Amino acid sequence: MAGQALYLKYRPRTFEEVVGQEPITRTLQNALRQGRIRHAYLFAGPRGTGKTTMARLLAKAVNCLADEEKRPCNACSICIAINEGRLLDLIEMDAASNRGIDEIRDIREKVGFRPSEARFKVYVLDEAHMLTEPAFNALLKTLEEPPPHVIFALVTTDPHKIPATIISRCQRFDFRRVPLPAIVNRLAAIAQQEGMKVEPAALELIARQSAGALRDAISLLDQLTSYGDEITLEQVQNVLGTVTTAVAGQLAACLADGQIAAGLDLINRALDDGADPRQLGREVIEVLRVLLLIKQGSAAHGFALPAEQAAEMNALAERFPIERLLRAIHAFNAATTELRRGLPVIPQLPLEMALVESFLTIGPPAVTAPSGAREAPPIATASQPAVSSQIAEPSAATWTGGQPVRESERAPSISTPSPALQALSLSEVERAWPQVLQAVRQRNPTTQAVLNTGCQPVEVNGNEIVVTFPFPFLREKLGDPQRCMEIQEALSEVLRTRCRLRLVLATEYTPSSAVSSPPSEERETDGGTLNDQTLGEIARWAQQRGGETTFLPS
Amino acid sequence: MSGRRPFGPLPLSIGGEGVGAQRCCAQGMGWGRGGSSDCPSRADSGVDAIMGWNVIGHEWVVSLLRQRLTSGQVAHAYLFAGPPQIGKTTLAITLAQALNCAEPDAPCGHCRSCVRIASGLHPDVQIVIGEGVGESLKIDQVRSLQRQASLMPYEGRYRVFIVPRADQATLEAANSMLKILEEPPVHVVLILTATHTEALPPTVVSRCQRFELKPVPVATMEAALQQRGVPLPKAQLLARLSGGRIGWAMAAMEDETILRQREQDLEQLTRLLAADRVERFDFARQMGQDPAASRRQIELWTSWWRDLLALCLHRPDYVTHVDQMETLSRMAARCSELQAWAVLKALQTTVAQLESRVNAQLAWESLLLQLPAFRHPGNPREKEQFVER
Repeated sequence: MAGQALYLKYRPRTFEEVVGQEPITRTLQNALRQGRIRHAYLFAGPRGTGKTTMARLLAKAVNCLADEEKRPCNACSICIAINEGRLLDLIEMDAASNRGIDEIRDIREKVGFRPSEARFKVYVLDEAHMLTEPAFNALLKTLEEPPPHVIFALVTTDPHKIPATIISRCQRFDFRRVPLPAIVNRLAAIAQQEGMKVEPAALELIARQSAGALRDAISLLDQLTSYGDEITLEQVQNVLGTVTTAVAGQLAACLADGQIAAGLDLINRALDDGADPRQLGREVIEVLRVLLLIKQGSAAHGFALPAEQAAEMNALAERFPIERLLRAIHAFNAATTELRRGLPVIPQLPLEMALVESFLTIGPPAVTAPSGAREAPPIATASQPAVSSQIAEPSAATWTGGQPVRESERAPSISTPSPALQALSLSEVERAWPQVLQAVRQRNPTTQAVLNTGCQPVEVNGNEIVVTFPFPFLREKLGDPQRCMEIQEALSEVLRTRCRLRLVLATEYTPSSAVSSPPSEERETDGGTLNDQTLGEIARWAQQRGGETTFLPS
Repeated sequence: MSGRRPFGPLPLSIGGEGVGAQRCCAQGMGWGRGGSSDCPSRADSGVDAIMGWNVIGHEWVVSLLRQRLTSGQVAHAYLFAGPPQIGKTTLAITLAQALNCAEPDAPCGHCRSCVRIASGLHPDVQIVIGEGVGESLKIDQVRSLQRQASLMPYEGRYRVFIVPRADQATLEAANSMLKILEEPPVHVVLILTATHTEALPPTVVSRCQRFELKPVPVATMEAALQQRGVPLPKAQLLARLSGGRIGWAMAAMEDETILRQREQDLEQLTRLLAADRVERFDFARQMGQDPAASRRQIELWTSWWRDLLALCLHRPDYVTHVDQMETLSRMAARCSELQAWAVLKALQTTVAQLESRVNAQLAWESLLLQLPAFRHPGNPREKEQFVER
């Protein structure tokens, strides 16, 4: 093959070249100098951190013909043979393919023979976690007391799959993820040797993307060499499908300002530009997280943001309602898992759904918004009772209001004819409750069944009806937006005014406006003197049903 | 999946003899497109489609690969990730052609080597798949791959092993691929495909040059379809319906039944919205017995309600079912974005349930109960007018 993969070409050949594993290299080098070489090693750690490399280095170092200080020298016949992969005494076994007891028996049989040319026979069991249990057990005796000329090195990414009996017989080294600066330095060095010019920001993005795995990073750099000798951040983003954090920030701004449609545009445009939906989701979460932390009092400059961006983030955090922020984080988090499943039809759909979901305030307000939010000016759209109550913020209400055409189209078909707000009283609602249940039943019998568990109206504030439910588990059932909508529609239909529903757990309910609507007054109404409004309503009700109303003198 | 692969039988497939065209076809790479038709042979048009680097879309991948090949830098392991039918295997085959083509402007697409690779007759290009129909790749097939990889190429420059759906391989198989993926013999190139990189063990991904294929843009797809003689409105529709999966669009272009099936499914959808519970449950029963149809329906419904969501937010540009604009806008006028969202959520839940092997009929019943009702009276003239329950 003309070109060797960069990660193979730059595989470390001395201990000094190994990046980011200083404690391990130091320990091993000291052990080598002092001649304290053990017979079994276990190298564990995430991918691309240098485990196999270290095993080979160990094999070279123990067998190298040079002075102790210089080992491995990479100049003697042994070192060269190992570098070329042809030393008979370095037995590198693919334990994932040769994982059975028979292969281990084979080792046991041959372990007794002396090395052919080197000092030690080194067995490297790569991917050791894939050995079967009988194979592990067959290895135990040999691993504990091998002949003096044998060294075992077990290499694995999953040390927890290795039996404790094996681990206790080995000297264990845990490789850690390579720190970001170390990766950047290594990449820069390789790029220089390869004669490439790479933007520092591009290098950092590559390093960040590889999450501490050096092989991933070098592999990516390798892939980018095709772009020529100069590599820009943009090219890296193109290959990775990352979008600039700008898009994530803009999306966060849309979330803060209640612009669903604009957010939809952003998502779709980013995808058209080649962004990967999963990446985008992750970046949005990252931005939202920073916003959350800022909102909780962390200083924006703590996140290594440029000053301009920090100010922007501060302003954004300021106007982002905390409730929605939490919901957005939750929704986008769920979306990233959903994206993994994703239907192939519309890859960005989970993100779009998370966007819409961020604007829902469903069910009993567990994290109650300050009461100010509830006093939002009533929206004069009779046709959208559900939306008006579920979108809490007035800013969000603007987009529901801005659809005159649609609403007029819709108005005749919806059965809540009176757009005017009418003052409701609790007794009215209580009286109408059976009818409401009936109306709910027509929509969805299950919802009625849920309500029948003992939910009852307890308070009326203007057009907001507070309904308590007796058991906490109902929270989930009633929290379903569909269900809320059904109840709300039923209320609006029966009471013939636009109602808003608020659901509260009975034990958590505290009457808030005992003063504003004194029950005594209602009782009075109950007693028989109907006020004009009620009379008018009865008349209208009867008329609608083709009846006639006659008022008898009392 | 119908005849999606533009190549015929491969004589030297690892993992058993006689892995022919039918076997390839039977290996669905995802769900949602099964069941609609059998495997019509498409070898004729297929060869045409992969002439040279004539891969539709994915320009950035092609340009990267081409530059690497011309400068003689061949990576030993590639990973193409992307949703089913997006063109992963086509790309893999084309790459295999490019690696073995003798012409200066490889792949030429018409030399002996290219033609043989396209028709699956090249001895040095092998597709490694599971042994039985729909079975995942097992460790024995990988062991056999390792043995074969140590042999020199018969006539080409490289021995190319294509491992489609590597994410479906068993854990043992994936692990046993690690060593050869990292340091294969010099004459070996491995090409893996997967739906997405997270589905593979990170140790596998880390050893490959990975290319995450993005959906082919609508405009590119429209142009490509028109070039192949598809009239404009149909090209527009197919480009949008495909969701960027060129393979699907090509299949739908040739196979009328796919679009006809969609029409039927759409009718079903509108009928169900108006239907009562008895009818809905009857439908749930049907779906419970036919997983392929069930998945097709869910995909269709998802795109349908997403269209409604887009329309509710006044974004007609994002609509998939462009030919149904009238019905869609009528429905959109009757529902809110929250309703659309709620249905989408319910659909999402159903997908999750079906994947975790919940009783399919039950999942469908639950979904259908959550579906809002748009009723039209029996009068055919009023049929168009949706009346809310």
